[in-house]
Amino acid sequence: MDNLLTVEGLDMDFGSFRALRDITFSLQRGLMVGLIGPNGCGKSTMMRCICKIHDATSGSIVVDGNDIGRMKPSEVSKLIASVPAEAGQTFGMTVMDMVMLGRYPFVDRIWWETREDEQVVREALRTFGIDHLRRNPVSMLSSGERQRALIAKAYVQQPKLMLVDEPTSHLDMKYKLDVMEYLQSMARSDMTVLVAEHDISLMARYCNLCIIMKKGEIRTIGDPKKVITEDLIREVYEVDSRVGLDEDGEIYVLPKRYVRGEKDARF
Amino acid sequence: MEEKGANGIAGIFRRGYRRLKEDMCRPADGGEESEIDRKKRRFVIIVIFGILMSAVAFLISISISSGGVIPVSDAVCSMLSAIAKGGANLNTAELYIYQARLPRAVAAIAVGGGLAIAGCMYQAIIRNPLVDPYITGVSSGSGCFAISVVALGVSIPFIGLNSLYIIPVAAIAGGLIAFGITMMVAEGSGGSATNYILAGVIVGFAFSSVQTVFLSLAKDNLADSMWWLYGSFANITWENAWLVFIPAIGISIISMIWAREFNLFMMGEEQAKQLGLNVSVFKKSMMIVASVLTAICVAFCGIIGFVGLIIPHACRMALGTDHRLIMPASIVLGACLMLFSDLIARTLLSPVELPVGAITAMIGTPIFAYMLMRKGREYDG
Repeated sequence: MDNLLTVEGLDMDFGSFRALRDITFSLQRGLMVGLIGPNGCGKSTMMRCICKIHDATSGSIVVDGNDIGRMKPSEVSKLIASVPAEAGQTFGMTVMDMVMLGRYPFVDRIWWETREDEQVVREALRTFGIDHLRRNPVSMLSSGERQRALIAKAYVQQPKLMLVDEPTSHLDMKYKLDVMEYLQSMARSDMTVLVAEHDISLMARYCNLCIIMKKGEIRTIGDPKKVITEDLIREVYEVDSRVGLDEDGEIYVLPKRYVRGEKDARF
Repeated sequence: MEEKGANGIAGIFRRGYRRLKEDMCRPADGGEESEIDRKKRRFVIIVIFGILMSAVAFLISISISSGGVIPVSDAVCSMLSAIAKGGANLNTAELYIYQARLPRAVAAIAVGGGLAIAGCMYQAIIRNPLVDPYITGVSSGSGCFAISVVALGVSIPFIGLNSLYIIPVAAIAGGLIAFGITMMVAEGSGGSATNYILAGVIVGFAFSSVQTVFLSLAKDNLADSMWWLYGSFANITWENAWLVFIPAIGISIISMIWAREFNLFMMGEEQAKQLGLNVSVFKKSMMIVASVLTAICVAFCGIIGFVGLIIPHACRMALGTDHRLIMPASIVLGACLMLFSDLIARTLLSPVELPVGAITAMIGTPIFAYMLMRKGREYDG
């Protein structure tokens, strides 16, 4: 299988602060990849560089054979879609209107989308089970429905690479699984899905590959069942944990305590 | 269960509106309604209804004066006859409508529509519900320069600027200088929406303080100064009505070309950028366009509040967040509100003329409060 995403020597500086340092990895098509690491380790910054919201200080990003650094934003948006963690204030925007925004890169006309655009949107709404809510304001949806609407908006961009930032942060157990199932089904349809998430057990269950980051660098990349260990969690998160396999052979991670000694205790 | 408020006149209107809406939105082939077709139909309804509503407001406005009410047909005849004569050899009725009421109505339409669309553009770009066209310091800059001219009695006869034009020229210059400083400070501090608001507020304070100094020096011209600050169409004539109407309406209509781009901003700058919009260029360009539009609107008739803040919100509550619908609706609603406000301002306590800005708030506040109570829950978030 050929690589869809190749990142080489990516650095990102904010003034004197280096947020990303020499990031190098490549991903094949049709994978679901988990991006794991503590808060502030550079997960979101890396995703913003990949979809060109931030211009990287140095390094190259190639998606489907195209050098992102040399592409216009309108061309990048046909290759890569991003799903924000939250919708923010939407002033009563309806679900249909929000999802339709995802068709913006494809509409050549000045004002109105075509019937084909509408068909793509309606199909996505049906796929994500929110077609009946299409005339409802986004603000009136539950967190799970809102997350599905955000993913649908990115889906109608028909991207080759989808970047998803903390999709389950406000969701209960049922909706967490629900969202991850949708993301996994997209990965199965030949789209590469890169998910930044804090729930390591969930990532280990659904992802084909995990990228573990710490302080702006990649600590390790590999099969979650192989790379996620108690030692790695201790090193990256500075907490003791229990990593085990459940009866289905899936990894679970239980944090136990802060690893530093009594002197560093918070209380 | 019987719907709340289904009886009485409000209920009749509501049922009629719903039936009309259902008829207009019914698909021709009996299949499922296309959302795009539905939106296009709503756009056509807004344009047709808007033109009719503006025409009615316009006719009412020219038919009523402090002297009394004349039949609309007589007003229309006098207006057409005066226009046909090219403004020369007019009888008393024609002269009154042609010279006193028509230019005011033309200016009111332009200023109302212009301020509403400027507010709509600012609110979309800055994504803050409290933003109005004066947020970037334009009104303070305009006020400061205009008051300095009024208070100090400045005139520049040798370059042909008489009193009719010197205040508007000073106001436009002041507004654009204030916006220029705001933009410089905001871009220097990162260019975020919050920085634009903060920079606009401090620049506004600075110009307002200088304006206060000029007001304290105004003495004999204090009444004229206050008149400009509260907004009035009393000084509008044909000589300056076109100078407001053509650029204000022109800019308002042209800005609607970018309605879809304004829609992208509703999801935030990051998402707009990710969807392929050159956010930095678009934001700066539209801020400049909206500020020029605001400066033109306040130049000839002073600072009229409320319209630019509330009309876009009212349109969003009624029509959703698609700027292809709310931008034309804002122009129409802003124009109508301004026409009725000017009508009330000049007739309510005649012969005393009231500030238009006070009337816009008096009319608009109860209507907006009603809409907020009905739609506020959906709108918040």
